[in-house]
Amino acid sequence: MSITKLAYYPGCPSEATALDQHISTEAVFEKLGVELVEVEDWNCCGAAEAENPMLVYALNARNLAIAERASLNIMTPCSICYYNLARTAKALKEDEKLSAEIKGIDSSLEYNGTITAKHVLDVLVNDIGMDELKSKIVKKLNIKVAPYYGCYIGRPRETAYDDPDDPVLMDKLIELMGGENVPFSQMKTLCCGGPLMMTRADIAFDMARTILDTAKSAGADCVALACPLCGMMLDAKQADIEKALNIKIEMPVVYITQLLGLALGIDASKLGLDKNAVDTKELLGKVV
Amino acid sequence: MIKTWELDPGFKHEIMKEPGGEHLTSCYQCSTCTIGCPITEIVPSYNPRKIIQMSLLGMREEVLSNPDLWICLICQTCTARCPQDVGISDLLSAIRRIAEKDEEAGKLKIESPRPLFDTAFLHTVEKYGRLYDIGLAMEYYPKREGSFVAGQKAMMKDYMAFGMRMFFKGKMGPLGGHGLLKGVLPSKIKKTDVMKKIFKWAEEKEK
Ligand code: SF4
Ligand code: SF4
Repeated sequence: MSITKLAYYPGCPSEATALDQHISTEAVFEKLGVELVEVEDWNCCGAAEAENPMLVYALNARNLAIAERASLNIMTPCSICYYNLARTAKALKEDEKLSAEIKGIDSSLEYNGTITAKHVLDVLVNDIGMDELKSKIVKKLNIKVAPYYGCYIGRPRETAYDDPDDPVLMDKLIELMGGENVPFSQMKTLCCGGPLMMTRADIAFDMARTILDTAKSAGADCVALACPLCGMMLDAKQADIEKALNIKIEMPVVYITQLLGLALGIDASKLGLDKNAVDTKELLGKVV
Repeated sequence: MIKTWELDPGFKHEIMKEPGGEHLTSCYQCSTCTIGCPITEIVPSYNPRKIIQMSLLGMREEVLSNPDLWICLICQTCTARCPQDVGISDLLSAIRRIAEKDEEAGKLKIESPRPLFDTAFLHTVEKYGRLYDIGLAMEYYPKREGSFVAGQKAMMKDYMAFGMRMFFKGKMGPLGGHGLLKGVLPSKIKKTDVMKKIFKWAEEKEK
């Protein structure tokens, strides 16, 4: 394994609704011997709400530049943050005029294209690698998992790091940990509905429900995911969806870093597994 | 019936000048985008192909006042599948930004709370450098509901159970994982002056 140090961009949800993802990411990388240096004074990536690409580029240029000054590649656990960082890196590298203009806003936005942006899932499977992970796994997950990828992992093409229609990175990790992937290909890359949560909850709930229902009928013990907005929709909002639609789902939803942490022998409390909205106790009993 | 005398032949150029709108004329109307769109499955009237066709024809008013513009998930599924690399997801975003400019100029009333939400979100980023959920909600709900009181009521309805859930899981409030008032107070970055400059520049660019 070649990486020993990375710049870490936690993203806004890490401070509240996705605290569990944040804690488990830090714990997993510590266990793997990769030092995470938090991007100093990082700012919001603009999420899905910044529709003006120029705003996205300027916001993310600052975060990229801070990591670049430390000569570290930047990694984030959020799919939207990843997409915004990666498309900014690409745009600024390809367009010198834009790059110069953005540097003109403030000298701290000077990004020269010498570092890259990556998502946690990509770093784990493709950079650290399956062999290295295998050598450190000490526990077996006796669970059936619905691997849910959502958006930006396999699309759009310019920034994708997995297959657009049938992504496999999480499937591979789950198998490596001794878990079983339930048939889930229809749902893997469907959007969770998150971007409409605050403006068209009816549509957003409908989408999240389809994903959770499918996981349930496929016999999954939990849904695994890799994005805090998906976590918000499928886990934190699950009780609201149940109430609004008058149904029972009760499907545990965990971050892939939480599962990997368990397999690496990290204590559940250090992985934030007491913070997922849907109870995870039954799952924990199946880790041997 | 299309009123040909009301068509705006300049509309397609207007879109193509916006970042993301560049590839409008590459569309050959195959419908791949629409067949794979998750919103079309739920809202049958939703049809990105048709929005593109109407834009190409110059049906400016119909396109910009279509409430369906505001229920796109920006999920990029259409973009990934389009054989012509039209970049529909970004293109729809470009059209929405034109609609917002028209509304600002008093030429259009957008029938969706989405721009209010996006604006409230970005206001917190401009002010603090990071998203501040409570600040966002305090701006968004009263604007959406038309008054402070109605806004508070709607906010409570959406947030009461959710907030308590997050509180008991230690994700928000005094039990928060790091910091006594995590999620209750904004997490403010040091360089908020740079945020101001960034937003000012981006706004200028939009004009
Ligand atoms: S998939 Fe592309 S070419 Fe086909 S209708 Fe949609 S935008 Fe046009
Ligand atoms: S980005 Fe919008 S139009 Fe495209 S597939 Fe997703 S919801 Fe449909």
